[in-house]
Amino acid sequence: MARSHLVEVLVGVFMALGFVALFFLAMRVSNLSAAAGGEGYLLSARFDNVGSLKVRSPVSIAGVRIGRVESIRFDQETYQAVVGMRIDPQFDRLPTDTFANIYTAGLLGEQYIGLDPGGDVDYLGDGDQVEFTQSALVLEKMISQLLFSMAEGGGDR
Amino acid sequence: MRIRGLRFARGERVVFDGVDLDIPRGLVTAIMGPSGTGKTTLLKLISGQLRPDAGTVEVDGQDVHRLGQQALYRLRTRMGMLFQSGALLTDLDVFENVAFPLREHARLPPSLLRKLVLMKLEAVGLRGAARLLPSELSGGMARRVALARAMALDPMMIMYDEPFTGQDPISMGVLVTLIRALNDASGLTSIVVSHDVRETAGIADRIYLIANGSVVASGTSATVDAHPSPWVQQFMHGLPDGPVHFHYPAVPLERELFPSPRRAWWRRVRAA
Amino acid sequence: MLNAIARLGHTGMATLASLGRAHLLLGAMLIGLPALTLRPRLLMQQVYFIGVLSTLIVVVSGLFVGMVLGLQGYYVLSQFRAAESLGVMVAASLVRELGPVVTALLVAGRAGSALTAEIGLMKATEQLSGLEMMAVDPVRRVLSPRFLGGFIAMPLLAAMFSAVGVLGGWFVGVGLLGVDDGAYWTQMQAKLDFGEDIVNGVIKSLVFGFVVTWIALYEGYDATPTSAGVSRATTRTVVHSALAVLGLDFILTALMFGD
Repeated sequence: MARSHLVEVLVGVFMALGFVALFFLAMRVSNLSAAAGGEGYLLSARFDNVGSLKVRSPVSIAGVRIGRVESIRFDQETYQAVVGMRIDPQFDRLPTDTFANIYTAGLLGEQYIGLDPGGDVDYLGDGDQVEFTQSALVLEKMISQLLFSMAEGGGDR
Repeated sequence: MRIRGLRFARGERVVFDGVDLDIPRGLVTAIMGPSGTGKTTLLKLISGQLRPDAGTVEVDGQDVHRLGQQALYRLRTRMGMLFQSGALLTDLDVFENVAFPLREHARLPPSLLRKLVLMKLEAVGLRGAARLLPSELSGGMARRVALARAMALDPMMIMYDEPFTGQDPISMGVLVTLIRALNDASGLTSIVVSHDVRETAGIADRIYLIANGSVVASGTSATVDAHPSPWVQQFMHGLPDGPVHFHYPAVPLERELFPSPRRAWWRRVRAA
Repeated sequence: MLNAIARLGHTGMATLASLGRAHLLLGAMLIGLPALTLRPRLLMQQVYFIGVLSTLIVVVSGLFVGMVLGLQGYYVLSQFRAAESLGVMVAASLVRELGPVVTALLVAGRAGSALTAEIGLMKATEQLSGLEMMAVDPVRRVLSPRFLGGFIAMPLLAAMFSAVGVLGGWFVGVGLLGVDDGAYWTQMQAKLDFGEDIVNGVIKSLVFGFVVTWIALYEGYDATPTSAGVSRATTRTVVHSALAVLGLDFILTALMFGD
């Protein structure tokens, strides 16, 4: 009887350890603690080019993450990309003339949306659209522009 | 119990070809035959672990191989079987092994279960070994524990698979007495499968002799003993030579030892 | 030539028949599962046997695998000035791949082979026939609890492996090589998704638990009841489990992370 009791205790400890490990993976290793799925409000923005922006890319302001990209789709009417962003509910005072840029973290890093707040007294609410946007910088375009301007500069000299 | 026209083949080899057996209630019936005649297979056919290719096995009026899973299992609770190795569950001690069928099939209060198990163990003389593990038992003791376990559900019939093989004379004597005593005390039907002629003939009320897939001789031990067939005589009295030769069939010795080149050449031609 | 083709055909037929028997056994084991709710102790013993007794080897292996990942990852990433991403690399490789796969391989070697040997020996010593003669279905009584036990234990073991591995990588990266502690964790959290990475890892280990215990039990149940047969079956369990786990891992990875 004592032995089977020991087995029960050990199995209990084993199960507990397993669930602790799962919990650890969920909360500490992955983004479950930060996700707070479905909460917050939705903003949209139109970009001429989103580069390699992906769903779940961060949306940040002054370098602080305040939300995530929730959807990216293509609008056939305007030939633009429409990006849906879910902003955490506590950041509810973004001016209506906020500027949305697509930045790259580091030279080869992942792309994210950086918001530059404007000076308007009205705030963006759920479902609003950010009007001012700056598309992603595409490396090839940058290089060709650079070469072009260098060639022009060379002609002047 | 009645067996009619039993036919069973394993692959190409026909094990039984039209076997008829009658096993009367309340008696000890022995089924004997040389090694490899499928005596164990016969028990597996009776208990429904194997299916025959033809023929019927009727136990207590029920055709074993027509029963559904549930009915078959109900019937098996009334059949006990003693395996050659004892087949005790190695991770349970002696007490738990005997208690196992009771725990599985009957919901008994713990005190009653304890009493029942100890009574069964007392009957085989191993009450003192209740807390030993099967690995600590001798072969004979393991068989007695298995016997107690087979008796646990008070079956109407017990099948013994080679109960005497590999036993020293003392435990053999113990088993012989036990089988007879249990049979008479509880009104059991016993089937003993064995090739130990003397011990088996000593306790059996009826004997069936099986060889080459069919019944060769049957009757009481006296009638079988006096059977005219030379093969039966050889088997019953353990003669080294008779219809069953000492030598396994082979080509003549001198031809195998000194094959002439010409014969060898012919053989190669024929093989090609 | 004709003989070779005949042999191929024979092997094919035998494989097919074996697969069929394995599926019949699986069906019988699954049918036996509901009855287990009445006998939780049977299940408990198997979780102990498969899970608890494998914990030590799984945790120690996880620790070392995590530490090696930390070391190797650091050298590669620091060449790209991206040592801050060490946490991502360690955690992603563990949670997505190494955790479920290595755990499954360890369990197959540690518990799977033992299951096969146990069942095979029970068959060889007529214990399974004995159960059948006592009107107890050996599949339900002996195999089903082991099957469910393996299925339950595997994801928990894999989670332990990954968790300990992440800590091992942290110990090497942050403790010994000087990666920033905050970066290690926040980068990890930013890049790993619960639904995509953790849940998929758990699904993988559930599938592996299912397959490894199934193979182990089938090989034991189908073993030739002699000592040579049981030892061959044990070897087959380890080989087949390893192949099945690695093959399935490729398929699952392609399905889960393919897009």
